Amino acid sequence: MADALLRMENLQRHYTTPAGVVKALDGVSFEIHEGERVILLGPSGSGKTTLLNCLSALDSPTGGTYRFLGEEVPRNQSEKMTSFRRENIGYVFQFFNLLQDLTVLENILLIQELAGKKDPARAKELLGLVGLEAEVDRFPGEISGGQQQRVAIARSIAKRPTLLLGDELTGNLDTETSNKVMEALVSACQQESITSVFVTHDEGLVKYATRVIRIDSGKIVSDEQVSSDKKA
Amino acid sequence: MSALLNKRLARSLWRTKLRLLAVVMMVSVGVFAGVTFGGYSHNLDGMYETLQSDDESGANLADLWVDNRSASWSAEQVGTFCDTLSASWPLTVAALDSCEGRTIIQGTMFHTNGTGTHIINSLWHGIPPDANADKIWMPEGHTEGRVASSADEIVIDAHVVEALELALGDTVAIGAGSSSAEFTIVGVGYHALHVFLAPEGSLFPPESGQFVVGYLSDSGMARLTNTSLGASNTLLLDVEGTPSFDLPDTETYEGDEIDAVKVLVEDAMQAANLEGRVRDRGQNEPVELMRQDLEGAKRTSVPFTVMIAAIASITIVLSLQRLVQSQAKEIAVLRTLGVNRTSLMTGYLIAPLAIGAVGCTIGALMGPWGVNGMLNFYEGIVGLPITEREVPFSLYASIIAPTMFVVFLSGAFPAWKSSQLDPLEVLSGQNQMRVGSTVLRRLTSWMPTTLGLSIRSSVRKPIRLMMTFLAVGISLMLFGSVQMMSAGLQDTIVGGLEEQQSWDAQVYISEGGDAAVAAWANERGATVEPLIEMPLGSVEDSEGLERVFTLVGFDSFETGMRSVTVIDGVRPQSSTGSSQVMVDEGAMTFLGWSIGEQHTVLLNGAEHEVNIVGVTRGELARTMYFQRTELGEALGVNATSMYLALPEGVEVDASLAEISMGVVERQTLIDGMNSLIDQQTQIFQAMMYLGLMFTIAVMFNTMIMNVAERDFELATLRVLGASTRSLGFMLLFESLLIGVIGGLVGVAFAYGGAVGLAASFSSWQFYVAIVVVPSVAYQLMAGVVLIAVAMTPIGIWRLRRMDLVEKVKDLSQ
Repeated sequence: MADALLRMENLQRHYTTPAGVVKALDGVSFEIHEGERVILLGPSGSGKTTLLNCLSALDSPTGGTYRFLGEEVPRNQSEKMTSFRRENIGYVFQFFNLLQDLTVLENILLIQELAGKKDPARAKELLGLVGLEAEVDRFPGEISGGQQQRVAIARSIAKRPTLLLGDELTGNLDTETSNKVMEALVSACQQESITSVFVTHDEGLVKYATRVIRIDSGKIVSDEQVSSDKKA
Repeated sequence: MSALLNKRLARSLWRTKLRLLAVVMMVSVGVFAGVTFGGYSHNLDGMYETLQSDDESGANLADLWVDNRSASWSAEQVGTFCDTLSASWPLTVAALDSCEGRTIIQGTMFHTNGTGTHIINSLWHGIPPDANADKIWMPEGHTEGRVASSADEIVIDAHVVEALELALGDTVAIGAGSSSAEFTIVGVGYHALHVFLAPEGSLFPPESGQFVVGYLSDSGMARLTNTSLGASNTLLLDVEGTPSFDLPDTETYEGDEIDAVKVLVEDAMQAANLEGRVRDRGQNEPVELMRQDLEGAKRTSVPFTVMIAAIASITIVLSLQRLVQSQAKEIAVLRTLGVNRTSLMTGYLIAPLAIGAVGCTIGALMGPWGVNGMLNFYEGIVGLPITEREVPFSLYASIIAPTMFVVFLSGAFPAWKSSQLDPLEVLSGQNQMRVGSTVLRRLTSWMPTTLGLSIRSSVRKPIRLMMTFLAVGISLMLFGSVQMMSAGLQDTIVGGLEEQQSWDAQVYISEGGDAAVAAWANERGATVEPLIEMPLGSVEDSEGLERVFTLVGFDSFETGMRSVTVIDGVRPQSSTGSSQVMVDEGAMTFLGWSIGEQHTVLLNGAEHEVNIVGVTRGELARTMYFQRTELGEALGVNATSMYLALPEGVEVDASLAEISMGVVERQTLIDGMNSLIDQQTQIFQAMMYLGLMFTIAVMFNTMIMNVAERDFELATLRVLGASTRSLGFMLLFESLLIGVIGGLVGVAFAYGGAVGLAASFSSWQFYVAIVVVPSVAYQLMAGVVLIAVAMTPIGIWRLRRMDLVEKVKDLSQ
């Protein structure tokens, strides 16, 4: 088996509260390989968002190891964690979080510029990939929620991240729009060869994954391969 | 329910303690400034009333002065005039209290101390012991001794006693023209015409001890001038009550009552065959100057208070508005739960009132301390005692009422906004959605996206930004206008005296006294230049008001010792027919004259045609410049003083003083002017620094709100991998942008304020031209930019402190 893209071993994220220690992640171990599309499923409070935060180096685990491309991922060092995200991670939010003062195209160019890889041609190409080539000069407030989420997807892959993460990225959309967004996402990840991990509680999205990890009370309760076809 | 809602709002406000404190402080300072200025002018008013009043405690300021400095009227002439006037006095006009003759003459004091004998330019009054008008003011506890009654006694003006280390019983040697004599000091007092101890024709008092005024008895004056008892060059008329006279700084004419008296006086002068100028209180420069100073102090208190209250209000509006915005969801939930609009609004209306009440209380409590400070300061500068001090309740009311009103208004808009929030829109997040500006997109599309975003973010809230700039502008108006006016004043007046003049001393001479001074100069290798300088010009302006100005005659405007700054036109040349003259820009403005026009003016009472060929700058007093020979012919004098350029090692000495009517050294004038400008600036310095503090507070408030509001997008960018450094650059660029625009607005406001301030100060007697000194404008700009840029680290600090996990949670809600 090829080397894993990322590997977590006995990962822990404990919080100390007045009521005692809360174990948001309690000994999580798994590997993710290039090209996989992983969905993290679990009920509210199961620890899936905490896991996503640790994966993206937004949060620092309190125990265990997390290696990405064979290297230890920085923790408790804000700038190094930011740098890690800038170089490796794409992120899609539930509420799109596009910058309202920038046009659709500029939202993508901004991320490229911050990563030092400004490329307007590629930005337009990506917007074509998610079916928004006609909307490049419109402001986010002028397009629908589904379209905004597709812009967010284009934005997240604009700097060619190794790993794309999403937190309930269709949670704010109706079923039909969710499907369109997920199709656009799968298509973009396949074309750009991007590994992805999404957090959701929507079982209906399992069909877009190659692997499903279920989590509860901070522990992995199941980890199953749902499709071996990474191109599916 | 309202009580709970208000408690909730109070707690929310308490969370922003620093901002709350700043707003309370602004209101306090506004009220404090208002009470201070108002109390100052109120007490000054009282002091002037006491000084000028016709009773035991006052000096009974005359109502009319008739003078002719080139003549001396005998006691008989004065008697004839006064008798004729009394006889012709109608019953319809207020009764004539007194008609008295006086001699007021320029002279010299020979003051000897440890460093030698010094020649001090002086003015001597001969006042009969039983005088009725223009008496010496000797308030108990602030002066000592008694008035001079015998021929060898003198009262010295209290302004100079300390500087010259004089005391009762000391003997002083004084001179006037060619004679000198010794007198014993029997009193120390003040005079209503010398509140501001400046030589005639000058608005600047020299440094203490450089100009002396003394009050002899009439017999003492006769001894000093070697004339007969009762000889006079000035007549004083005192009418029962105070007939209204025209106030030169108002557009309406108030001088009807005194005009009726003037007609009688002029008729009596004709009958007694006397020639001279007749002046009422409005035309007597020292009296008018102090009245206008008082009026200025009265006028200043309300605008300063309102300006400061306005800055506080803008900060309150912006802060409450931000609070409403940040509490939008909470308000929406409350509205959904059935809380009505009025209940919501109440809190936002009460909050500023509570802030205002606390601020006003603190300001009012501090007020008396400020009043005393200002009055002490006034005593220090002007040297006149404020005998009674009080701050009336009506003053507090007149300051606090408008302040509370302005502060109350500042709560109205946020209150209204809170009541207008649509719960559905807020809870669905629709209120957060907005469409960017297409115009801005076009304007910034060529820029790097980060810069474009910075600009668009900065102007995202144009109303807030404009209000910020308005507040910064008002703050800088406080800070910069005084600085600009002082710099302009120093640049034009002192700069001109320092750089464009080569004389070292001006020696005042009596008619025919020029030969002796020239001989003195010749013996010492000094050069001389005769000139005429007399405040004997007058003209009727377009509204029929008589405007008095100084006549100046030079031999040459190009190569003379005193260079005049010509801002328009050319210098006068000798001409046949009407005289070519230059007029200072203040007179040109007030009279509405233009170059090329011909006008008829009165030179010592006689009509004369003049042709305006140039406009000058640098004079505080209204001045008309002639070729000396032409002016001399018109006035019948050859020269009134002589400029001396002294070679190295030669100094003004007693022999020069003895042959002159007084000597003024240029350096003394410069020192006096600098000292006065410094003192005047000091009065406003506290205001200036408050303005600076307000600028910092306002900018700080806005920048913090900008960064706080952008948490959403900054967090998004941080999650997406933007480094603190790149976001820091964005914030820096925004700060620079706001700083530069704020600076430009500030400079414009400061200039506007300076023009306004100068206009309010400017009168026929005292005209201030505003010249923008670039260094002041640069300083203001740099100050605002610096303040704005200094806020960037705070933004970066916030970025570093940002808990991204929490922010991502927020972003997902």
